[in-house]
Amino acid sequence: MTPSRIRILKFWPALLLAIALPASAASPAAGPSDWTGDLGPIAESDWNRSRAAHLLERAGFGGTPEEIDKLAAMTADEAVRHLVFHKEIPNPLPDFDHSGVHDPGIEPFPPSRPAATNLARDTGEAIGVKVKPSGNRRMQPVVDRFFYWLRASMLESHRVAYWWGQRMLTTNRPLEEKMALFWHGHFATSEDKVRDYRKLLGQNELFREQGTGNFRDLLISVSQDPAMLAFLDAGVNVKGSPNENFAREIMELFTMGVGHYSENDIREAARAFTGWNYVDLTFVVKNDEHDETQKTVLGQTGRFDGVEVIDIILDQPVTADYIAGKIYRYFVREDLSAQLQTRLGDVLRDADYDLAPFLYTMFMSRDFYSPASVATRIKPPVELVVSTYKKMGLTELPGVPDFNIATETLGQRLLFPPTVAGWAQGKSWITPGLLLARGNFVYDTVFPDINFIPPDRHPTDNYQISTVADRLAEGADVSTATQPPGRDMTSMSNSMVDRDEAFNTRLGSYRGWRMAIEKVKPIPRTTAQVDLTSMIQSAGCATAQQAVDYLAGRFLSVPLDEGTRGALTAYLENEIGGSDLAPAETYLEEPLRATLHLILSLPDYQLG
Amino acid sequence: MKPLNKQLLSTRRRNLLKAGGYGLTLGAAQMSGIAPVFSSAGATNRQTGKGKIFVVLELSGGNDGLNTLVPYGDDAYYRHRPELSIRENKLRKIDDHFGFNPDMAGFERLYKDGKMAVFHGCGYDQPSFSHFTSIAYWHTAAPNSGEQLGWVGRLADAIDPAATPGFIVNIDEAQSLAVVARDHVPVVFDDPRQFGRKGLFQERALLDQSRQPSDNMNDAQRYLMDISRSAQQASEQVREACAAYRTPVDYGIVSLDLRNVAALIDAGMDTRLYYTSFRHNAFDTHVQQPNLHQRLLTYFSDAVSGFFQDMERIGRADDVVMLVFSEFGRRVAENTNLGTDHGTANHMYMIGNPVRGGHYGELPSLTELDEGENLIHTTDFRRVYATAIEGWLGHTDTEAMLRGKFEPFPVFG
Repeated sequence: MTPSRIRILKFWPALLLAIALPASAASPAAGPSDWTGDLGPIAESDWNRSRAAHLLERAGFGGTPEEIDKLAAMTADEAVRHLVFHKEIPNPLPDFDHSGVHDPGIEPFPPSRPAATNLARDTGEAIGVKVKPSGNRRMQPVVDRFFYWLRASMLESHRVAYWWGQRMLTTNRPLEEKMALFWHGHFATSEDKVRDYRKLLGQNELFREQGTGNFRDLLISVSQDPAMLAFLDAGVNVKGSPNENFAREIMELFTMGVGHYSENDIREAARAFTGWNYVDLTFVVKNDEHDETQKTVLGQTGRFDGVEVIDIILDQPVTADYIAGKIYRYFVREDLSAQLQTRLGDVLRDADYDLAPFLYTMFMSRDFYSPASVATRIKPPVELVVSTYKKMGLTELPGVPDFNIATETLGQRLLFPPTVAGWAQGKSWITPGLLLARGNFVYDTVFPDINFIPPDRHPTDNYQISTVADRLAEGADVSTATQPPGRDMTSMSNSMVDRDEAFNTRLGSYRGWRMAIEKVKPIPRTTAQVDLTSMIQSAGCATAQQAVDYLAGRFLSVPLDEGTRGALTAYLENEIGGSDLAPAETYLEEPLRATLHLILSLPDYQLG
Repeated sequence: MKPLNKQLLSTRRRNLLKAGGYGLTLGAAQMSGIAPVFSSAGATNRQTGKGKIFVVLELSGGNDGLNTLVPYGDDAYYRHRPELSIRENKLRKIDDHFGFNPDMAGFERLYKDGKMAVFHGCGYDQPSFSHFTSIAYWHTAAPNSGEQLGWVGRLADAIDPAATPGFIVNIDEAQSLAVVARDHVPVVFDDPRQFGRKGLFQERALLDQSRQPSDNMNDAQRYLMDISRSAQQASEQVREACAAYRTPVDYGIVSLDLRNVAALIDAGMDTRLYYTSFRHNAFDTHVQQPNLHQRLLTYFSDAVSGFFQDMERIGRADDVVMLVFSEFGRRVAENTNLGTDHGTANHMYMIGNPVRGGHYGELPSLTELDEGENLIHTTDFRRVYATAIEGWLGHTDTEAMLRGKFEPFPVFG
């Protein structure tokens, strides 16, 4: 250990004491405290660069200094309009590039592996594959095919998430992607159950096209969207045996919230939605499965169909309050008084559920720039990741670390919301484990893992596939190859895997994976193209102190307290061997990256 | 619902993050003069580490209790479920009325060994059929009240006013409402291998510092400082305990994090309250229930019985009691999609050597149902909570904690 390093380490406790002293002031973007709760617009004289940064943080995925400057140069009205009314802004981004994994024989895909093998047993064929007439494991090809589509669709959905993340990073219409992300959490639909990336992609495009349009149109589109219909079991909601799943969630989660309807309303509404179904990617109404008789929903009686029930729901005052409140909690802040929620509901009602005018009012409001709202929001994982890349100046979503694994580790994987309620927001994004993981994500970005294994080639989530492959290559018979690793006390689940002789699921799992990766295009595995040296130089930084200040200002929404600022500067000075950057130019990158890692590991970085 | 392989054991990628891969946390902390509060507690608090431990396991999604512990002696069960009922000869019978789902060998053994109390008809007045509302009621033990703290969190505040770091461990992706406390900051993590900070040697002192919340921080900032401190204190011990743990016991295909709980218990953590769950609404079996439900129950039974075998092995079986619950049961009658819809009353289970096994509470009627054709609950679920709080953990002021008087069952002592 060099003498200087020892000195620094001894010195740090003193710095840490200093950190505990009151230092950090509120964010410069925050207006006076009496702005809180005031939905009136800010004056043009209130508009400044910090507030432009705050707006971009919330209405988009944060901004580079150049993007913030551009917004700050507009008037407040122009800036908010630029974000909200964005459909005319040119946005030349590529469509999703399908690998070509699907073929018509797959439809309709059975709901489970047992359903597939039962179908094959009964009819001699399933998923476009015939049962072998004789011999060993006669249904194995069906099981292989079942796993093929499961894996292929899942891997392709990972590519859809990459494609979407790339859009978030480079779009000219950040609020379009941000609203799509909001609706993805609101109308949460998961590839886990839908098992068809094409449906998820279609839903994603719907959120993008209609996400700032009219809520009624959006709600009807989502209710008739094959991904949602599949997710909430519409296919089994038929006359004479209504399934309540969709009717319950539309009232509880999508429109009114708990406590504003009865169980009877759900049962009645479910009948109105009977017959709503899909064939492959198309919405269909099966008239012979639709219950045309009278229903009573929320106090109204008639021979309603689904759209009429949606209109009854939209007529409830609570629906506008609920939607307005949910958007506000997502974009502005978690704590919302009942009174303010009603006023927000009024804004949405007055706009006849048009979302853009509501968003305009919200982003223009003094409340949005009040101390209660500024730098108080914990960034959801996808936003944390995308905005980190954006502020690093990246224009390509890195392949290492893997975008999907990184966001999943932090608790939010696109196209895989945990439940139909979507993701809980706010403090629930942070646990001790998740807070550390957020710092580790930054580490993995600035110091990419040289042992990285691409999860779209290698079955990292299911190590048994690799074991089976290895043993088969060694000439093991199927039973031996697919046996679980020996244990002293074997559980029921591990001992009964291969008890059906007509097929072997672990063999199918392996073959399905192999067939899938033959077809699915690989995700490019470029590491993050970070160049902090150039960034610091073009910002005109000459000293370590200036570099720390620049990075903190570029990345953080709250100012650094003096103690932390001093410790970070001491760290960088120690690493470069002095306070001037110029002599260290040729070896500056590593110390800067470590410094950035330290800054972005601060708890404060989670706030946007 | 998330596929089960997501919850499976390990990945090769994650295996690369072995314990110790996070470097010199302790060394750097000592060098910088910060007391490594949590890690030094290991040796001195070995005694408190031997205290009574309470594990709560949640089955999310609303487990179908009627097909878990089947009342085969009641014809009404078979009338309500012509397709989904399980024939008597397939069940693992535990007496002349009840039998467990066919692959729940572990549960059958725990019951027959007298280590399992089954509480019947557990529920509450004006039941909610929403997963999210109902689970919040169970988490807070305060239906329809808007209570902000969880019952396990309030329990920790009451029995450990000193708020010992690491007293509550919650293994999950996000913190459960059940463990939200006024004074305690629960240790919440998912994969213990990833519960640590990556960082270079020379970054350590800065990375491992904890700042105190100050008055001019906003609420979210203060919260982040608290969490950061908890992470700093607990991560090293958790990571090392889980990485070092070796056991011959097979927890089955999905361990439900119970293997990690065993590791932490074996390591002598100060933790008295553990909270884990079978995640992602797994038990929400509206359609095509039979195969899926049987598989879920097998995993669940394997993991729980594996855990208790492991407790015997490490000599802690007398110190540990587990409570198992779900946010509601399912509709008595099957639906037309080979599934069941959201229901009301359900079984709860309390398991462990100290438990006096058997049936508790009155059986709910399968013929006299409420207007939604659901079971009418016979046992307020908070009586079972009170049983654990008073009978097992020896805290007597349950009335304040549970916001009402709930008579415990004579399960202990």
